Amino acid sequence: MARARVEQPPATGMTLVVMVGLSIAFLLFIAFLNVVKNGNILSEANLLYAALVFYAGAGALYLGFGVTGTESYIKFASVATWAGLVANTGAVAHRWYEAGHPPFASLYEMLLSFVWTLAALTLVAEKRYGVKVIGTVTMPVAIVGVVLMQLLRSDVRPLVPALQSTWLHVHVTLAMLAYAACALSFALAMMFLIQDKAKTEVFLAATSIFTVSIYAAILSRFERWGGFNVIAWDAENKTEVFISRGVRLFVTIPDLGWLMLLVFAAVAAPLVFYILATVRNNEGFLSVANRAVFISILLQSLALVFFLLRARDGRYPSLDADGLYPTSLAASPFILAGLVGGIFANLLYLLLLWRRDDLESHLPDADTLDRITYKTICIAFPLLTLMIAAGAYWANRAWGSYWNWDPKETWAAITWLVYAGYLHMRITRGWRGRRAAYFAILGFGVVMFTFFGVTYLLPGLHAYA
Amino acid sequence: MALSLRSAFRKIWLTLSSVKTGVILIILVVIFSAAGTVILQRPITDPDDIQRAYSPAMLRFLDATGLTDVFHARWFVALMIMVSLSIIAASVERFPNAWRFFSRPYKSPDDNFRRVLPTQARIAVANEGVGLDAADRAFKHFGWKSEHIVRTSNFSLFSERHRISEMAVYIVHASLLLIFLGGIVDALYGWKGYLMLTPGSASNQVELKSGAMRGLPFSIRCDGAGEETYKDGTPKKYWSKLAVVKGGKEMSSKEIVVNDPLVFSGVRFYQTNYGRTGKLDKLLVSVTPGKDVKGEKREISLSMNEIVALDADTKVQLAEFIPDYVVQDGHVYARSNDVVNPAAHLIVTSEKTNKVVNVWFPEIPGIAENESSPYILEPKDLKTEVFTGLEVSHEPGQWAVWCGVVLMAIALTFVFYVVHTRFWVLPITDDEGCTMLWIGGSANRNRDAFEVTFKRLVDQVQRELKPAFAATDKPAASVSRTTIAGG
Repeated sequence: MARARVEQPPATGMTLVVMVGLSIAFLLFIAFLNVVKNGNILSEANLLYAALVFYAGAGALYLGFGVTGTESYIKFASVATWAGLVANTGAVAHRWYEAGHPPFASLYEMLLSFVWTLAALTLVAEKRYGVKVIGTVTMPVAIVGVVLMQLLRSDVRPLVPALQSTWLHVHVTLAMLAYAACALSFALAMMFLIQDKAKTEVFLAATSIFTVSIYAAILSRFERWGGFNVIAWDAENKTEVFISRGVRLFVTIPDLGWLMLLVFAAVAAPLVFYILATVRNNEGFLSVANRAVFISILLQSLALVFFLLRARDGRYPSLDADGLYPTSLAASPFILAGLVGGIFANLLYLLLLWRRDDLESHLPDADTLDRITYKTICIAFPLLTLMIAAGAYWANRAWGSYWNWDPKETWAAITWLVYAGYLHMRITRGWRGRRAAYFAILGFGVVMFTFFGVTYLLPGLHAYA
Repeated sequence: MALSLRSAFRKIWLTLSSVKTGVILIILVVIFSAAGTVILQRPITDPDDIQRAYSPAMLRFLDATGLTDVFHARWFVALMIMVSLSIIAASVERFPNAWRFFSRPYKSPDDNFRRVLPTQARIAVANEGVGLDAADRAFKHFGWKSEHIVRTSNFSLFSERHRISEMAVYIVHASLLLIFLGGIVDALYGWKGYLMLTPGSASNQVELKSGAMRGLPFSIRCDGAGEETYKDGTPKKYWSKLAVVKGGKEMSSKEIVVNDPLVFSGVRFYQTNYGRTGKLDKLLVSVTPGKDVKGEKREISLSMNEIVALDADTKVQLAEFIPDYVVQDGHVYARSNDVVNPAAHLIVTSEKTNKVVNVWFPEIPGIAENESSPYILEPKDLKTEVFTGLEVSHEPGQWAVWCGVVLMAIALTFVFYVVHTRFWVLPITDDEGCTMLWIGGSANRNRDAFEVTFKRLVDQVQRELKPAFAATDKPAASVSRTTIAGG
């Protein structure tokens, strides 16, 4: 009986490395065949594709390390991250050369720079501070970023007059650095919570709330009779269809709304069981909640697949105009990112549940993690300050006012205030450890809302990105 | 009574200066600012859009509470004042202590201090002089300055770096107040307005946001304006040539573009708008003599109401220009001011015969008499008048804002990256009567890195001691206790 176990290869697991290596090689080979057909090897799309492949490989290996704890995975994961970073650098350089300005002018270009900074910082955190599993969190973020980029408008558009300023580059460089530092502090705070033996229930609650809020936001597109609204998309011009100035045309995909409602119930279930467990003080509900997470992942994947199938280049009726209008995945990048993000968050939770103790032995001790989290915020905060200042100075040159209470400005100030609050509590009140970690996570949430949420939900003067 | 009043005041003061109050105020600012970005705001939203978005009762409530204009509401201003007061109170409350610490550095540690200092070490030495000399050399080795402190009871060494770092946090808060001050000055004495000019015209009247007009002590003349586009039609550049005229003299001139305004005596002129007024600038007409007239074919250029002689007898006048015309019941009307469907009305008069001919471009049936004109007139080119829209602003407080920003950036660097470190070296006699060199150190932040530095210093002192005092029977005891408090 015992012998059977021993005979299994003791988690040296070259299998995963070989598999990941083979799939990278396969994907690159397929891509190469395509390239041979089309001629141009070093186009931006190809470089980005290579970066995606390498990042995905690195992500798989980092995850593999998280699950099996095999040290050798980390080396290969680092190599893959390096390769991805090189390809990513190539894409950035290509873009820069093509456009004649640094890639900061649209959301696509900002994501390109953001992913690059994130990958670079991951390597820094790994080599300099020895936080090896950080790639488990940052690589999937990078992957989602690159996937989003495939869907966003990527054509080089000339700079409109308001953007023709040196301050654009100063402002955006600072923003990217600050946001990447915030992302890193978030990942480190998560690692801290694992190392600090925060109960897995806390993570269960956090991931459930995250997913529930994603589906709550998605359900704002729910239409009568179970339809689901997505933006109509003009495939030829790759732009949204507008009824009149500033008013988007939505098309209704039938029945998809019901599915989203079902998944919403499924992702809410773990949260309900968690609340029941805390209120009734009954541990039994927790194991039910964990099983519900598993089911919700399956249903979320189902929702993703159906969304992919239905929203990809279909034609659907609209409530506001006659006739059938086409839509495309590119029309709803943020729904797609939300669906992928939800699945990813829940998978991370499952990973945590399965590999808890081993993971802890591979992390620096809690004190170190706490300190590095604080250090990254010490880097992020002055950068945020300078980013806001550069933006204000630029606004003063372009629009004649350094502060307009524009949504983007206001949310940048809110981000700054949240981190200012963190620093005050930490320095004067001695907030350490878990409370500081929650604060760091909250801060990153606000950063992400400022970056993406404000652009899509609260557009104002800052309409470029 | 007086006492209780004072104690009440003291209590309010202490509450105001506490970090808790500061953080609560931060949270309130965050909540209300967030509300201000989610709820539609009056100054930037079309009134109709707000009407449509909220029910009348809801809108009344939002208006009454100022939630439709959060950032200009009185209570928001009051909140910002509270934040400022809290910063001032907190700084005033803590500053004297910090200043004492800063202005009178603690150079000679007493027994009590030595007992509680977390980072310290002892090294056995032959005598005081040898030990202090070695420590002196060790400081020199690292390039740190050290001071010899002479007290009645003992000699000791003191070395410190970056004392300014203790003050940095106050500078950060002061710079924030400076930024607020700039904002307040601009809110009180600054103004913003709009000025529309057509090339060739000049004005000194700025229309403020409130609708009132404000006169400038000088006028602005526009000498030209234009736009450039990329190949795909997206705008590339808007420009205006502006000149400042005062008392008939040109004081300053500049070609402004978006992102590069003209500044004159504290007033800034920004390129914000560009378009066509719908009026005619120049109409180019080709003139071909008719059957009855002699002469050569030529081109003339006409501006509004201008009369041009075609020959000794015949004159032509540009009487009307309609940018977007429509014909109804035998009359020509203007539909809009956009130059999309233009029509021009010319009057050709012959003095001898007293004949008046109405020429229309294009030839509008029933109205135009183009056929009977002695000259055949044909439109060649049309230049319509453009206008440039200038945002005008006066922000006397902005310099305080920029000073505050620069100051804050510098001070933040000091807060996070410059560490105030202090070292004390003191010869002591331990319980067994041996002479020891007591070395103590402290840092105001980043203590982990400091522990390493301290260890290196102690090692260096030992190395410096070796030639003089090779055979130490007692190894150095480095005592390090890290405390929880502090950052």
